[in-house]
Formats: sequence, structure tokens, C-alpha cells
Amino acid sequence: MLKDFGIIGIFVLGGLFFTGAALLTNWIIRPKEHHNENATSTFECGLDTRGPTWVQFRINYFLYALIFVVFDIETVFLYPWAVRFNSLGVFALVEMIIFIAILALGLWYAWKKGALEWK
Amino acid sequence: MDFSAVTIEILVALLGLVLLVTGLLLPPDHKKANGYIAVVGLLGILAFSLSGDAGRSGTFLYGLYTLDSLSKYFKEIFMIAAILVILMSLSYTKRFREGKGEYFSILLFALLGMMVMVSSNDFITLYIGLELMTISFVILTAFDRSSLKSSEAGVKYVLLSAMSSAVLLYGLSIFYGLSGTTEYAGFITCLQSGGLGPALILAIVMVLAGFGFKISAVPFHMWSPDIYEGAPTPITAFLATGSKAAGFAVLIRLLLQVLPSQHVNFSGIIIMLAVLTIIVGNLIAIPQKNIKRMLAFSSIAHAGYILLGLVAFTGMGVGAMLYYIFIYIFANAGAFASVTALSNITGSDEIEDFGGMWKRSPLVTAVLMISLLSMAGIPPAAGFVGKFYLFASIIKEGYVWLALVAIGMSVVSLYYYVMVIRVMLTGQVKSDEPVTVPASLKTVMVVSSAATIFLGVYAGPLTSWTSSVASMFVK
Repeated sequence: MLKDFGIIGIFVLGGLFFTGAALLTNWIIRPKEHHNENATSTFECGLDTRGPTWVQFRINYFLYALIFVVFDIETVFLYPWAVRFNSLGVFALVEMIIFIAILALGLWYAWKKGALEWK
Repeated sequence: MDFSAVTIEILVALLGLVLLVTGLLLPPDHKKANGYIAVVGLLGILAFSLSGDAGRSGTFLYGLYTLDSLSKYFKEIFMIAAILVILMSLSYTKRFREGKGEYFSILLFALLGMMVMVSSNDFITLYIGLELMTISFVILTAFDRSSLKSSEAGVKYVLLSAMSSAVLLYGLSIFYGLSGTTEYAGFITCLQSGGLGPALILAIVMVLAGFGFKISAVPFHMWSPDIYEGAPTPITAFLATGSKAAGFAVLIRLLLQVLPSQHVNFSGIIIMLAVLTIIVGNLIAIPQKNIKRMLAFSSIAHAGYILLGLVAFTGMGVGAMLYYIFIYIFANAGAFASVTALSNITGSDEIEDFGGMWKRSPLVTAVLMISLLSMAGIPPAAGFVGKFYLFASIIKEGYVWLALVAIGMSVVSLYYYVMVIRVMLTGQVKSDEPVTVPASLKTVMVVSSAATIFLGVYAGPLTSWTSSVASMFVK
């Protein structure tokens, strides 16, 4: 048992050595240039941010996200059921109707509570 | 697939969904009707379960879920506790600014979570039930949005229970890693082949810590006084009864059914937990000024007493636990119903504000007295019989010193229970305003104190029921 952990230890040491060696080699052979502005700016990942990024989001975003989950879950289960529809039979059909009814109830509840309104 | 093993759960879930709908459809002034629907529905489900038509045993989903006499007993206990709590809530919900309709629905989902916990035959199912219960309780704890204390309690509960869940999950994941299965049955076969080593003990310790949090055993008890104080009083009652009973139900199943082969490894831990819980709970309850905090510490101490049944680790011990949990629910329901009634009048939960309550409301005083005396273990209240069975079960296994500690601490507990009674009987009367208690609260109070006295005088039927349930754990 302890011997097996020794093998893991060797792997860990090897891993540390290789990552360290790679970083060290890069550091030695890389061109020593000063940073310019373009190198540190955001690139390929959207626009530059304006103003502080720590702002409060409206709670409505999260409500929409939660309602999205309703549809998401629905799809996750509907798709495999639809693919195997013929072999699953009537029992699965009834189960699916109950399942969708419960999700529809959740959507109706959220709607009625005004979660879809942007106030 | 055979649905007879999950009929009760399906009915409870259905009732919860129906309440969600009616909660929206009812006009704003009549949201209270939701509570009546919940009580009537639950009484129906309870009668259905007791009548035995719901099936006595069986499994569901290839053995992931099981219905046996233990889970049936606990489900009926949870339903009784939920009915009492809903009746208590009827007069309390007017304090909430919004969500009066959803309150009862969420309460039923907490109940459903407890039911899934006791019936689960698989670690993942167990965890889902646990989280369903815990998340529902978090919402209910923070339900009184106008009260800062309630919100604070909710935040504390969500953080601390997340931590305990993490520890528990880590333990369960080690179980899975050792055995390669999450099912109890497969895990038991894996344990029989033996030689799982120290990792198994680590996992057991983590699982014990996770459920020690739920039953608020010392040293995992820190959350309960703050949360019991901040939560709406009926929810405190449900936390102290239902949530705790669910934790014990799972501990009984895990320790006596799944892990009995490891008894030598964890018996010491349980003895330590029980001793610490009994001593610390009782001693810290003494200086409390707030009745809900006092009852929180007393419920910690009671968790210690109930743990003694697991120390005994016999059918008799389990029978004593089942009996004690049953009567503890009634004693707590009575106590919290009286506290709700008193705080409806005085607007405070401080013990000193209950002064002279005897003159203003003899009924409330009498019920609180009976409940507290039952918790202290004074005959003829049922607490005496319960403690007698628990202590007898450990003495039979040779733990005489432990029984002496428990009896000694039980005497200590009498002090702080009687202090409350003393204030109510002899304390300064703050006002002469007559007291009106809503009918729903009166029902809870009368039913629970009648049950407490009745089960103390005539314990026969209940003990034969509990011992027949416990007979599945004959050692």
C-alpha cells in the first residue's frame, strides 16, 4: 500500500520538476522586453471595460436564469425520450406528461408572480 | 414499476404542488386557508398511512428506495410534527409581509425531504432528501423578512449547513471510493469482505460529523441557539422535532443496518458525543434569558439523551429512541405552541416577560408546565418513561457510569425548566390584559399536553409499536 503511494510521490516530483524546468527555460531564453500597453490589454475576449466592473446586477437576471433552467431540464429529458419513443411505450408517455405538467406549473407560477416582467 | 412504496411521498409532493397553486389563486386576505388545506390533506395522508393501505414494505427504483417499518414509523412521526407545526403557524403567518401562501408549500417540501431521507437505501438518494429538507428549512428560517434576526438566522443556517453538507459528502464519497457503489446493499457486502482500513474510519467520522450537525450534537451544536432564536417560532419547533428526528432516523439506519460490523470503531465516538452533548447542553441552558434559546439548549441536551440509544446499540436501545423521539415531539410542540401564544401577547421571547402568566392565561401556563416537566422527566409526564427506557437500555449494556451522568444532568435540567415555571407562577404581572389564544394554537396545546400525559400514564400501545419496529435490529 505504502509502496504504491511512493510511486505517486515520484510522479508528483517528476511533474513538479518538468513544469519548473519548462518555466525556467522559458524565463532564460525569452526576449527581455519591457511591457507595452497592448501586451497587457484584453484581447480576443471582448471589449475593454468602462468604469468599475464591480456593479450590482438586477435580480431579474437571476430570475430569468432560473426560469431558463426549467426549459433546460425539460429538453435534457425530452430529447432522449423522443429518440426512444417507440420502445418506451405508454408508461413513459404518461410519465413525460406528468413531468411536463410539473414544469409548466413552475413556469405558470413564475409568470403569475411577475418574474417575467422587467420592472 | 411498483409505486406502492412511494405512495405517501407522491401524495405529499402533490399536496405541496396543490398548495403552491391555491396559494396564488386565493385572494390575499384568505391565504390562511392554505394552512387548513395542508392540515386536512396531511391528516388524510396520515390516516391513509396508518390504515396500512399504503403498503407495509417494499422497494422502489431497483432498491434505491425502501419502505420498511422503521421508515414508516418515522414518516408518520414527521407527519404528526408537520400537522402540529402547521396548526401553530396559522396564527403566526400574519406577521409575514409576503409569501403567506408559499409558506405551507415549502413546509411540506421540507417534510418530503425528511421522508426521502428515512426511506433512502442509497447514499445519493439520502443526500438529495437531506438537501431538500435543508434548503426548505433555510427558506423557512429566513421567512420573516421584517425581522433582521430571522434573515441573519437564515444566512447562518445556509452557510453552516453547507459546510456540514460538504463534510458529509466527503465522507460519503470515501464510502463510494472504497466500495465502488452508492447503494447500501452493495456497500454492506463490500464491508463483509473486510479490510478497508483507516479510510473507512475517516469516512465514518465525517458522516457522523455531518449528521451530528443535523441533530445538533456537541461539538456541532453552535448553529442551533442562534437559528432557533431567529427563526419563526413554528419553524423552530419543526427544526427541533422534524429535522432532528430525521437525523436520528438516518443515524439509526446507517449505524445499525449498514455499518454494524464497524461498531468497535465508532462506539467510542458516539459515547463521547452523547456525554458532551448531555453535559454542555444542560449546563449552557441554565443562564439563558430567552425562552427560545433555552429550549434550543434543552433540545441539544435531548439529542444527547437520544444518542444514548445508539450507545446501547441494541434493539432495546432503538426502541427507546423511537419512543423518546415520539414523546419529545409532543413535548416540544406543546412548549413552542405556548411560546408562540405568549409571544403573540407580550411580543417578546424573554422569560422574565412571562411573569404572572398564570393569572392571565391558565391554559398556556398549564401546557408549558406539562411540556417542560415532560422534558425534565417528571412523572406522570411521558418524558419520565422515555428517559427510563433510554437509561435502562444502556445500563443493560453495562454503561452504568454513563447512565449516572445522564441522570445527574437530568436533575440539573430540572433547575432551568422549573425556573420558567416559577416565573410564570410567582413573577411580576406586567399587565392585566386578558389573553386570547387562537383556536388553532389551542388545539396544538391541548393535543400535545394530552398526548404527553396519556403516553406517560399508559405507554403500553406505543412501546409495543416501537419495540416491534426495533425488532428488526435484534442483536
